Amino acid sequence: MTSTTQTVCPSCGGPISDADRFCEACGAELTPTSPTTPAIDTDTEPTIELNPGASAVPGPCRSCGGTIGADGYCETCGTKATKPRDHFSEQPAPWVAGVCDRGIRHSRNEDALAIAADPEPGSRALLVVCDGVSSSLDSDVASLAAARAARDVLVAGHAKGLGTESSRNSAVVARMKAAADAASDAVLENTSPDSPNPASCTFVATVLEDGLLVAGVVGDSRAYWFPDEAEAVALTVDDSWAAELIATGVPRHEAETGPQAHAITRWLGKDAPDHTPRTTSLNVTGPGWLLVCSDGLWNYCSEAAPLADLVRQTAAANGGEPLATSSALVDWANAQGGQDNITVALARI
Amino acid sequence: MAEFSASVYQNEFLPDGGTDVHAIVTVSCSGAGAAGQTGSGDAGEIIIVDTSGSMGADGVRAAGQAAQTALDQILDGVWFAVISGNDRAKLAFPPSPEPVMVRMDQFTRQAAKDAVARFYADGGTAMGTWLRLASRVFATVPSLTQKHAILLTDGENQHESPEVLTATIEAVTGQFQCDCRGVGVAWQVDEVRRIATALLGTVDIIPAPDQLAAEFSSLIQKAMSKGVATADMRVWAPQGAQVLFVRQVAPTVDDLTSRRTEVNALTGAYPTGSWGDESRDYHVAIRLAAKGIGQEQLAARVQLAIGDQVVAQGLVKALWSADEALTTRISPEVAHYTGQTELADAIQEGLAAKAAGDTATATTKLGRAVQLAAQTGNEEATTRLRKVVDIDDQDTGTVRLKRSVEKADEMALDTASTKTTRVKK
Repeated sequence: MTSTTQTVCPSCGGPISDADRFCEACGAELTPTSPTTPAIDTDTEPTIELNPGASAVPGPCRSCGGTIGADGYCETCGTKATKPRDHFSEQPAPWVAGVCDRGIRHSRNEDALAIAADPEPGSRALLVVCDGVSSSLDSDVASLAAARAARDVLVAGHAKGLGTESSRNSAVVARMKAAADAASDAVLENTSPDSPNPASCTFVATVLEDGLLVAGVVGDSRAYWFPDEAEAVALTVDDSWAAELIATGVPRHEAETGPQAHAITRWLGKDAPDHTPRTTSLNVTGPGWLLVCSDGLWNYCSEAAPLADLVRQTAAANGGEPLATSSALVDWANAQGGQDNITVALARI
Repeated sequence: MAEFSASVYQNEFLPDGGTDVHAIVTVSCSGAGAAGQTGSGDAGEIIIVDTSGSMGADGVRAAGQAAQTALDQILDGVWFAVISGNDRAKLAFPPSPEPVMVRMDQFTRQAAKDAVARFYADGGTAMGTWLRLASRVFATVPSLTQKHAILLTDGENQHESPEVLTATIEAVTGQFQCDCRGVGVAWQVDEVRRIATALLGTVDIIPAPDQLAAEFSSLIQKAMSKGVATADMRVWAPQGAQVLFVRQVAPTVDDLTSRRTEVNALTGAYPTGSWGDESRDYHVAIRLAAKGIGQEQLAARVQLAIGDQVVAQGLVKALWSADEALTTRISPEVAHYTGQTELADAIQEGLAAKAAGDTATATTKLGRAVQLAAQTGNEEATTRLRKVVDIDDQDTGTVRLKRSVEKADEMALDTASTKTTRVKK
């Protein structure tokens, strides 16, 4: 959608540019024809280290549990070992966790996740998800840099304003804007100045502090609040053609499955017109699940209510443990087809 | 120190539901050194010469001279022996009633040359007895890691049943390598090829006795340049996968599939014999369980192993894709060698049909061979085929069997049928 040359996907008829490697709508692999696109080396590791200091020895095979050989393939079933960037998880506190996964159809993981939390359950959590636009170059590197930069800004600021509720909210919203700025800068820093296809990504972040929950969004990654005793709430509205159609009265299902469903209207990146996050705030008054996710999950369950049911059931099946639940939700999305990268971050409040 | 490398040529993209992965793996060796001089054990060489009555005085004299030339080429320090064979095998050198070998030096070389000068033609032909004696002679020197023989015959294996020969070949397989040569046109290509193939050697025709010396000399020189005594090709395939075949396809076609020995449940070893500075191509085909679009997995690890040491590895991959532009592409290397393998089969089947008087099948098969030789650019094969058939149209494979064919030309076409041309990479 950031490109000017428009053709159609041979698989679903959705719009694609001649530099795309994947159809944004259906995830079908495409053969880029744009002569300015350098050959894609899917084996190139991102320049950002995922777990500094962590051992480089890959764990057991994710497919059969066998040993991974020095050549990067399972010694029993031959499955290619997951690259660290293709699947990783974070759990800064027992009540907050997230999983970021390549999915099935895409050759690399351009989603990113960065989260932070205080140990006290329900106290303070900062969740950021960025979804790299797969038609642009180095989106996997840029999205991770963006998510981490935003998280760091959110963690560092802990201003409480003047103590009143409205000033506290303004302070968090201002921090959210600063976080988006930092994320945008990180994307630009990871884009070569003469890139024909500059890196770009979405942005969604939530700040939970002392009962106040603020969500900010640029693009179509989402945040939801699923209180145990009340109706599920979508905290974000996508910056997408589909959302604009829904606003004009087109049914959600129809809008989100149309050929332009995944065309986003705002993003972070060199060619982004505006990256000010749109924010929503609410006061958390009871227990519930906070979910921040990329479209790799909500593609398969978009409405707040059924998604809340899915999260609650998955949580119940995993003893309410956030990491196991996030991981199970990623597995569920993969079982639905895994057409896109999948990121799920959860906080149990 | 010998260095090995492996390169893989394949189209790793499979369509949705695709299961079969084909790859050409080129294994190259450099710095092999000389036989018996690389510190990894001693080398042994046995020269086996047919001295049956059919050789005649002139034939035996020529064979003796060829053996003398061969002895000149055996490096000092290499263990050696000479066997003369008719319907029984006899150790011609060292002169001993019991199997024995000696190391080559100036004195043993001269003594051996004197011994082969005393060859005389007598008796029948029982090649199995020659092979059994060679095996026993090699076994007397436990330090041998490299055991090579050259066998010369001129006639059919008349004084031994095919069953006995088969049993003997099985018994000595893996004991030593053997290059076989037939002199004249009275020997059976099939029979001698069976021996050579099982013993990881080559087979060829030497039309006239005066060409023997040059051939023997070249064979021994080649054997002496094999500094790597023995190596195995190992093929790992994932659990649940099936190794359809493992073939050497260059320099000659040789199906290794049935020679598998198990390394572990997922890995088989296939003997490749000794290595000099050379390069060989292998065609490996694996059948996998199909995975989903976008999934990638390893279809095979193809390795060269010396003892337990893996010295080179190539990875054969499978990647399922919905892109027909990727999945319908055929690897030029795989296509080339698939054609060359079919060419070898077409020549052998065509000649067998011709020998059996089945002109129609012979014409079809040899016509197909002409077509394949043209398509794969095997000009040597085309030249040899021209001596057996008249070619009307090589593109369609339209040929007529020649009315009179030199027996030697037909045998040369047969023995050379497995020789392939390298694919241009």
